[in-house]
Amino acid sequence: MWLRISSTLRQLPLWQLVFLALFALIVVLTAIGPDLAPYSTINACPSDRLVPPSAAHWLGTDDNGIDILSRLLAAPRTDVVIAVIATAISVLLGSPLGVVIALLESRRRGGSTVVAEIAMRLLEVIQAFPVFVFAMVLVAVFGGTKVNIIAAIAFVNTPVFVRLVRSDVLSLVQRPFAEAARAVGNSEWRVGFRHILPNAIPTILVQLSVTIGFAILLTAGLSFVGAGVKPPTPELGSMIASGAKFLIIGQWWPAVFPGIALGLIVFSFGVFGEVMTKFMEPRAIRSATWRTGMTTETDDAPVIGIVAPTTNAILAVRDLEVTPLQPGASPLLSGVSFSLGAGERMAIVGESGAGKSVLVKAVLGLLPAQLQVNSGQVRYGEVDLLNLDKSKLRSLRSKHIAATLANAKSQLHPLTTVGGTFAAALAAHQKVSAPEARRRSIELLRMVGMNDPERRLEAYPHELSGGMAQRVCIALALMYRPRLLIADEPTAGLDVTVQRQVLDLMEKLAREAGTAQLIVTSDLGIAAHYCDKVAVMQAGRVIEINETRAFFDAPVHPYSRQLLDSVRL
Amino acid sequence: MSTQLDVAASRVLRRVRLAHALRLPRYIGRRILFLVPQVLLISFITFALVRLLPGDPARFQLGPLAPEEAVEALRRKLHLDLSIPQQYAIWLKHTLSGDFGTSWSQGTDVGEDLLQRIPVTLELIFLSLLVVFIVLVPLAIVTASLSRNWAVWALRNVTFGYGMLAGALPDFLLALLLIFIFYTNLNLLPGPEGRLGILDTAPPFVTGSILIDATIAGDWSTFWSGAWHLVMPVFTLAFVYGAPVFKMLRSQMEIALDAEYTTYGEALGLAPRTILARAARVAAGSTVVIVGTVIMFLLGGDVLVESVFNMSGLGQYAVQAIVTADYAPIQAFVCFAAIFTMLVYLAVDLVHFAMDPRIKVVGSPT
Repeated sequence: MWLRISSTLRQLPLWQLVFLALFALIVVLTAIGPDLAPYSTINACPSDRLVPPSAAHWLGTDDNGIDILSRLLAAPRTDVVIAVIATAISVLLGSPLGVVIALLESRRRGGSTVVAEIAMRLLEVIQAFPVFVFAMVLVAVFGGTKVNIIAAIAFVNTPVFVRLVRSDVLSLVQRPFAEAARAVGNSEWRVGFRHILPNAIPTILVQLSVTIGFAILLTAGLSFVGAGVKPPTPELGSMIASGAKFLIIGQWWPAVFPGIALGLIVFSFGVFGEVMTKFMEPRAIRSATWRTGMTTETDDAPVIGIVAPTTNAILAVRDLEVTPLQPGASPLLSGVSFSLGAGERMAIVGESGAGKSVLVKAVLGLLPAQLQVNSGQVRYGEVDLLNLDKSKLRSLRSKHIAATLANAKSQLHPLTTVGGTFAAALAAHQKVSAPEARRRSIELLRMVGMNDPERRLEAYPHELSGGMAQRVCIALALMYRPRLLIADEPTAGLDVTVQRQVLDLMEKLAREAGTAQLIVTSDLGIAAHYCDKVAVMQAGRVIEINETRAFFDAPVHPYSRQLLDSVRL
Repeated sequence: MSTQLDVAASRVLRRVRLAHALRLPRYIGRRILFLVPQVLLISFITFALVRLLPGDPARFQLGPLAPEEAVEALRRKLHLDLSIPQQYAIWLKHTLSGDFGTSWSQGTDVGEDLLQRIPVTLELIFLSLLVVFIVLVPLAIVTASLSRNWAVWALRNVTFGYGMLAGALPDFLLALLLIFIFYTNLNLLPGPEGRLGILDTAPPFVTGSILIDATIAGDWSTFWSGAWHLVMPVFTLAFVYGAPVFKMLRSQMEIALDAEYTTYGEALGLAPRTILARAARVAAGSTVVIVGTVIMFLLGGDVLVESVFNMSGLGQYAVQAIVTADYAPIQAFVCFAAIFTMLVYLAVDLVHFAMDPRIKVVGSPT
């Protein structure tokens, strides 16, 4: 925990650290500020009216002759306490309510949806009151005590969190992880609160930093128009209000200093929220595992098998090394070399975590921003893919170098129909009329064994099964009869018949169009029957490459033997 | 055989689509039906709250020196002696017949006042939103993009500062500072003197918006004067209330650009613009919800900004009414705001619904 805090802090830019320190100062001032004031914070001193900033009064005095610095030191106790308590109440009431409403809605049973609908409409009633005027009326009716101001602010902000959490939960509730959590027998409520709500936290946090700021501003705003904290109490809004009339005629200090203080307070809360968001981000954790979790067990022994480069290779990879961006991280891929000729098909096998998908992304030039290619070469024919400019690379993709990536369902754009994705992929490289695009998409879908392709074109990814999504991706990859096809688990989620159909199709493509294929698979059967070569990966290295027949007859590397034995048993 | 299947399939498809299309009007119809009890509830809550405001309106109206009998008589005339539900019933009857009552602090007809002031406020809100959409939305999309172009990088830093600053700057303070800089010191823009200069004559009333009315009248000097007077208030509102939209859109864009479908889109060789558009479509969902909230905040934030700039719109009207315990204007203002807000929410939900096929209409048979 402390480790994570300190490592998060170390990654922050300097200015954020400055504002974090300011945030801490504000917290301290909220606690003891009034005791630090050098002058009285409420007693008027008519002889010292509107003194400009001077040695005695660093920030000058206001129209009552009270030292502005003293009042500023005392003010956070009023503004910050009101805002933080009010926001805490809104989050604690709003988030659970949002989850409950979303779950009731997603149940789609008569009674539940009616309750949910009534709750939403009531919420609208509360939100329909203009926030500021509503708070003003509440405070005017019940009196401007701190408790009433807190209640009013909490009340007007709660619906924001209800709506936000509801809309987040509604979109998360159909995600695979939530379905999985339900499938293993968790109750709906448990899934909602334990599995889905935590996923909504980043959004809530972004909103939280906005809302605390808004609550402070609301407190100050109410006091600014005289409907909040009343003047003798040191409070920023009322200080700005009393200074405003002097600001316009040029005496700026009574309004500007409280204004700056108010801005800095809200800003510091914003920075704090921002840092919290960064701290909660799962990405930071993931890269931490990359850094430490990967141990290279293999020594630098040369790759066993055939390593001589293919002449006229379609794809040639030489000494490829990929590392996470953090300093000191150990490589995810190192010394990877192989080549692939026209019509040649190579399987890449190895257990999960061996670096197969990283290799695929590196070859395609699609590594996430946190990973980089350290050294090595990736060549497509004569073209150096790693140093190719973006537009040239784009013109090669799909048309010459096609790919299917693992987990097809989440690869498809969630708001685009299958037909829309086909149309976009076609439009990326040529001008096609809509009916022509439709005709070709239907033909391609039929090729990969999709029944009723006309209807599938209208389907959104969330309406497809994993196998159907997989076939859509394969159809997209075959669209231009590419010279190089890189397929990450192309047959995952397909039943045996369709699997054969797809693999036969890929074989035909290799034979007829001379497409070189790099097939990542965990199924050694596919490697044995459909590939010319097999490469075994372990811990980021290719430890053995050989002709399929030779490999299966006599694997050389002990790990390869182990891998084969595990299947034969 | 296969063509027959095609025909059958497309027939099924058409029927499914028709069912979808029919569901939407039913949904809108139901939402509008809900609007009626909602507005009634809101008006009743406001009515009750307003009557709890400290101060006796009859005494307010006649002054502290008026005899007790006169005050009592006026109270009876205003039905203040009746119970709140009874008073509410009377108010409702009047309102439904188009009589919004009289402001007793100003002695004016509230219906007339609303007609004068609503356009002012709507003009401010509309122009501010326009600025948000023209300036901030494209900025959010561009600065979230993956491009490592130095211009984008610089823009990203500047706008990041904006996102933080705008959330921290109170609208009324920004308004005061703008006046201090551009009026008091530089004298470039008109001061807080209202919608037009003292020497300008307002164009004949048509829509209530000075810009539109001046255009209709062909009075360009008034048009420009009105436009200059709008610069600071609109800038203030757009700057402060555009920030949540900007922040939400950018953070959602970053998430979308980091998603697997973006990587896959690149693998398909889609143009950078297409990839950005695909991400923006996903990001737009949450952003639309925030835009709805912001419109509502604009109606509230407008209250302070109108007061500072003396725009004599609806917001300033409401503040004056609350301070003087003026029942009828508060009541009318809140009801207008409520209906306005709920129509905005309905629009937001419909847009959200139209944009995301994963969201099913609540309570619809599936």
